[in-house]
Amino acid sequence: MPAPPIALAIESLLRDLGPSLRRGADPAAPLTRCPTGLPGIDDLLGGGFPRGRLSEIAGAACCGRTSLALALLARTTAAGEVAALVDGADAFDPPSAAAAGVDLSRVLWVRASEVVDALRSTEHLLAARGFAFVLLDLASSSQAQIPPSAWSRLRRTAASTNTALIVLGDRRLAGTFTDLAIEMSGSEPRFQGVPTLLEGLDGEVRLVRNRMGPHDCAVAVRWLSASAA
Amino acid sequence: MRITCLLVPDLPLAAELRAHPELRGLPLAIASGPGSRAEILSISPEAVRGGVRPFTTVVQGCAACAELCVRVASPALARAARDALLDAALSVSPRAEIVPSSSGIYSAEAAIYVDARGITSLFRSEAGFASALVARAEKLGLPAVAAIASSRGVAHIAARRCAPTPGATEVLPPGHDAAFLAPLPIDLLNPEDELAQSLTRFGIHRVRDLTRIPERALVTRLGGGVRKLLALARGEERAPPIPTLSRTHFEESTDLEAPVRHLEPFLFVLRGMISRLATRLECRALACSDLDLDLDLEGGQRDARRIGVASPTLDPLVLVRLAALSLESRPPPAPIERASVATAGSPLRSDQLDFFRPAGPTPAVLSRTLAELEALCGPGRIGAPVMSDSHRPDAYAMAAFAPDFGGGSLTRDGDAPAELSRGALAVRALRPPVPAQVHSSLGSPEWIRSALANGEVIRCAGPWRTTGGWWSREERFAFDHFDVQTSDGLVVRLRRDLTTGSWQIDAVYD
Repeated sequence: MPAPPIALAIESLLRDLGPSLRRGADPAAPLTRCPTGLPGIDDLLGGGFPRGRLSEIAGAACCGRTSLALALLARTTAAGEVAALVDGADAFDPPSAAAAGVDLSRVLWVRASEVVDALRSTEHLLAARGFAFVLLDLASSSQAQIPPSAWSRLRRTAASTNTALIVLGDRRLAGTFTDLAIEMSGSEPRFQGVPTLLEGLDGEVRLVRNRMGPHDCAVAVRWLSASAA
Repeated sequence: MRITCLLVPDLPLAAELRAHPELRGLPLAIASGPGSRAEILSISPEAVRGGVRPFTTVVQGCAACAELCVRVASPALARAARDALLDAALSVSPRAEIVPSSSGIYSAEAAIYVDARGITSLFRSEAGFASALVARAEKLGLPAVAAIASSRGVAHIAARRCAPTPGATEVLPPGHDAAFLAPLPIDLLNPEDELAQSLTRFGIHRVRDLTRIPERALVTRLGGGVRKLLALARGEERAPPIPTLSRTHFEESTDLEAPVRHLEPFLFVLRGMISRLATRLECRALACSDLDLDLDLEGGQRDARRIGVASPTLDPLVLVRLAALSLESRPPPAPIERASVATAGSPLRSDQLDFFRPAGPTPAVLSRTLAELEALCGPGRIGAPVMSDSHRPDAYAMAAFAPDFGGGSLTRDGDAPAELSRGALAVRALRPPVPAQVHSSLGSPEWIRSALANGEVIRCAGPWRTTGGWWSREERFAFDHFDVQTSDGLVVRLRRDLTTGSWQIDAVYD
């Protein structure tokens, strides 16, 4: 019995399309994000740091990376969510965080003294689920050699949750495992007034890697000290 | 009245096998003490098949069975096993009572009376209840049997009849107690030796022989002691078990055969103890909070320590790790002879969160994670940061992480509750502060040399003076703070200690 014309047409179409055909899959769930509360940076990131993905904040000292991390903490805790900070550098300053508007009772502060402990703690926190994001601060530990397998594992663990994994360092550490990376640079600090006060820092945030959208764009940001604010 | 008797026929043997499951299936004998002349108190079925007999000496046992494994009876293990049996009973009923130890041939048994009234609404049938009870005891490592009857004594005797078959259960329907007892030998009622001889002399060999005789005639000839035996034979011991008060203290201990000097082998022993403790807690729907580790050391010394657990957990690996951290940081000064680990059971947090609030980690998972993190990072290094009530610049505190999920509300991405047009400038703390050599003129720094920032001071703001703790020599502090930008591009917070005159960098603006 000859095949019906519609079947022949489909066969012909499949033959023509060849390798460009892919197996169908469920439509991907919409990506949720952790906004920073800073409109310029949120626009740059497409709404905030993506949940279930590995993001990086890189930059030298005095570029505003800690200020950005605290803004993210403040925005997240104000929304009633909880976040975890794995402090591999033991540099978290509670008064500074409180001044930035962070609800400290919703922040789990993990003071890991070794990089290995920090990575393990991060994995435990991701596996716990329920945290809006886990911030891994390795800013003073960037010289440590972290094997790529560690990033692969953390990225895979994050992907199975709705928790954003954000790594903060002096330079980019996770390489190609990063889904989104921003590099921060600082300019001149602003000392003004009589008596002279440190009013703040001006800096730039550049999106250098983004698997979910466009990259290579930047935004200027101003970090104001408590006295100036 | 319906009463269940949960019975472990041979407690010393069961306690040893509970602590050392690797001995299961081996010919095992429990001796009264060390040495070859000690008496064998209990033997495993494998040892019986090997020809070993109880109440012989260890030498005789080893002669009968060359592979015989001999262990000295441990009162600590037996006590823990008896408590575990009570936990199995308390997991199904608050009315559970330990039966006082018997004498004679039943001296090795451990029994618990459990109130079985009204349990059919939970377990469908009394047989199902008895099986569940036995299964819980089995989970705690104890081979038990159970019987349900209308009186204490009959339930106990029925359980003894089940003893040869571990895991067996028997249910006597209401009103059948007398019929059950009638054909049984009188010895099962466990009469006193003198009374047993008198009964034998009178030709009373079975329970029905006893119940046929009028009570007055028996009391006249055998004395008042026979009344108790008669009550037992007629199934008249109907007092319900006395409820055990809420028992939340759990302890496992072990006597080591030889003093243990190194931590690694001791941790192996400790792991077993903590696992048994966790199983008991799980059976009671509780979790382990702080652990009390008590060590008896060689030479009569004692080492008692409390191991903090961040949040109640049932994970033995986490608890062992916490104990290992404590022992490694402060090793016992002498070899360990005996160890005991105890905890006050704490209720596990419920997993139910508020439907209308942002989701957080479930409390049970959060508890486990906190305990794991504390084991990893060390005690006091995880928690929620807290502002200290002090003007001291480096003052901070940590509190237990227990967020209140009642605050906040569900928001969509981009719904910023408080839009920040500009970010707040933060600092990174330096712990400890970095010492610096500073050249200053008129009190203002002009040039810095340190491990962090070096060079000429380009801009400077300050000083701002912070003082406090003047009432105490130890707590006194006085600093002059400066915000400085150095020629190498850093903006740091510099301070001068007015009590010592030294300079330090205590934070970096970032």
